[in-house]
Amino acid sequence: MEWIKLAFRNVLRNKRRSFITICAIGVGFASIGLYHGYIHYNYRGLRLIAICGEGLGHLRINKAGWQAKGKLEPEKYMFSKEETEKIMKLVEEEKEVRLTTPQIQVTGVVTNGAVSTIFIAEGIVPKDEKTIKEIWNASIKHSSNTYIGVKGQPLSDEKLYGVLMAKDLAGYLNLRPDNEGIVMAQTLNGRMNVMDIQINGIYNTGNDISNDKFMKFNFYFAQALLDTQSTERIVVVLKDWKDTERMRKVFLKKIRDAGIDCEIRTWNELSLSYSKMKSYLDTIFMFLSSIVLMIAVIGTINTMGMTIMERTKEIGTLRALGFKFRGVSVLFALEGAFLGFFGSILGIILHTCVWTLMKFYPLHYTPPGFSDPIAMRIDMVPQALFVLMLCFVLLSTVAAIIPARGAAKKNIVDALGHV
Amino acid sequence: MALIEMKNITKDYHLGETVVHALRGIDLQIDKKEFVAVWGPSGSGKTTLLNLIGAIDDPTTGELTIAGKDVRVLTDDHKSEHRNETIGFIFQGFNLVPVLSALENVMLPMQIKGASHAEAKKQALMRLEEVGLSDLINNRPAKMSGGQQQRVSIARALVNNPSLVIADEPTANLDSETARMVIEIMRELNERDHITFIFSTHDQRLLDKVKRLVRLEDGKIINGN
Repeated sequence: MEWIKLAFRNVLRNKRRSFITICAIGVGFASIGLYHGYIHYNYRGLRLIAICGEGLGHLRINKAGWQAKGKLEPEKYMFSKEETEKIMKLVEEEKEVRLTTPQIQVTGVVTNGAVSTIFIAEGIVPKDEKTIKEIWNASIKHSSNTYIGVKGQPLSDEKLYGVLMAKDLAGYLNLRPDNEGIVMAQTLNGRMNVMDIQINGIYNTGNDISNDKFMKFNFYFAQALLDTQSTERIVVVLKDWKDTERMRKVFLKKIRDAGIDCEIRTWNELSLSYSKMKSYLDTIFMFLSSIVLMIAVIGTINTMGMTIMERTKEIGTLRALGFKFRGVSVLFALEGAFLGFFGSILGIILHTCVWTLMKFYPLHYTPPGFSDPIAMRIDMVPQALFVLMLCFVLLSTVAAIIPARGAAKKNIVDALGHV
Repeated sequence: MALIEMKNITKDYHLGETVVHALRGIDLQIDKKEFVAVWGPSGSGKTTLLNLIGAIDDPTTGELTIAGKDVRVLTDDHKSEHRNETIGFIFQGFNLVPVLSALENVMLPMQIKGASHAEAKKQALMRLEEVGLSDLINNRPAKMSGGQQQRVSIARALVNNPSLVIADEPTANLDSETARMVIEIMRELNERDHITFIFSTHDQRLLDKVKRLVRLEDGKIINGN
């Protein structure tokens, strides 16, 4: 306790120098904290886009072999109506499950009568889409980035031929809500099928790459177009994304035990954009953090080096009075720890100020691949700030020990004679 | 048994390629309760001798025993413990810790030893009272005169009840009146508590008060051993 008091007073000895060091640490802390909060928000947003926006759910259940051969022999690798019902019943028994919904994908050609182009459509259950929309909006209720809106009407359980069309595709075909078109696709047994559609609504996928080819069909309309009763996949939405891996194992066992061979993939395995973006942001985070931490450490070493140089005679006195080599190192380490601690406190204050400012006056920007500007948001992550504080305190402590060890090793007579 | 025994002690310093022979074959024995002054011209080796006796420096050759311990064979940690428990230091420039009050400065050696706060405070208050500074215990060194700082330094040297106090030019930075007071305090502690004092000085007033004078010249004892 006495040495802590002594270390604290020594920090206050040269107030200006300590203040500058604390400011350097504080700004570094706030920078890392804010960037971490920014990517944390983005991970959350990207996760939500993958799970709800891309319609991947947390888990996607396919018949075993779908991934490798499903495109070649789709009928063989789809679930029958009975299998679909059985799997959904088994999955819904688990309390962690929020929603199960069957889906089927259709690719083909869409035309307005004059112009034709390819499309990729997801056959989905309209009422389940509504639930997913609610999950999305509940997850980012504090954000302006609400669920991708539909201009016109959403999909309907009653009007099977009513479809949603992505905005660039609709623009290319000059189709508006209530306009009619025609879709053509190959049925599962290889014949061409043609059906009339009516545009219920136009939506924005949020992504430039998919906006010119995506559509959404009523699940039963998609089945009719493919002339099948089968289901390509069953999408499972969980209450908590952290249960994803655990529930995958649970479902695999349960479904296989029921005599249905299946394969289950998670949302992050399916969403290439999430993994790539996370890897990209993580790399930048590591790079920036390393630079900022290095600057903070060098600043602390410099401050402590100057402090120790000025106090060499005092170190000699303490050693003469019986202070051990280790004791001197500990004393200066405590001073470094104080600098790290106070710097972190300042960092938290700065972080909170900027976080508050950004909450009420967010910047807007358009990330690569996005079709519209989004608000720049920062998450407040107390656990991360705590870990960051530990890092800064630890690094400042080490930064103080390095020059202190040199001074403590100095010959006592030389230290006492230091001017 | 003598408190300090030095046999054929030498101490060399290397300044580049030049070797400076600070001490050349010192034989010295100092018993308990002695009040010894080491004197001589500048560069005669007074401070070097006191540094060796204080175990803050090592001899180049020779045998050195302090309070029955051969300090040459002690590890750095054991030397630190030995200094803390056996030796008190009074420095010419006082060497008080500026961020600590008079009381805290005096408590320091006891706290280094591991004594409780209460015990250290009790002893420190007693020692500060002995040197007449009871009313300045909360003052930091910057708010004290040179004489007051040196008295704090004396109290700090005595707080662990050492068998030996080493003072390097203790009155050099003091005016006549303060120097006289400091000398009186040291003399009284020697006579009353039988603490051995060894100090280097040029101060004739101090030399007049000592029982034993050790005169050094060119690293050798001329008389007093």
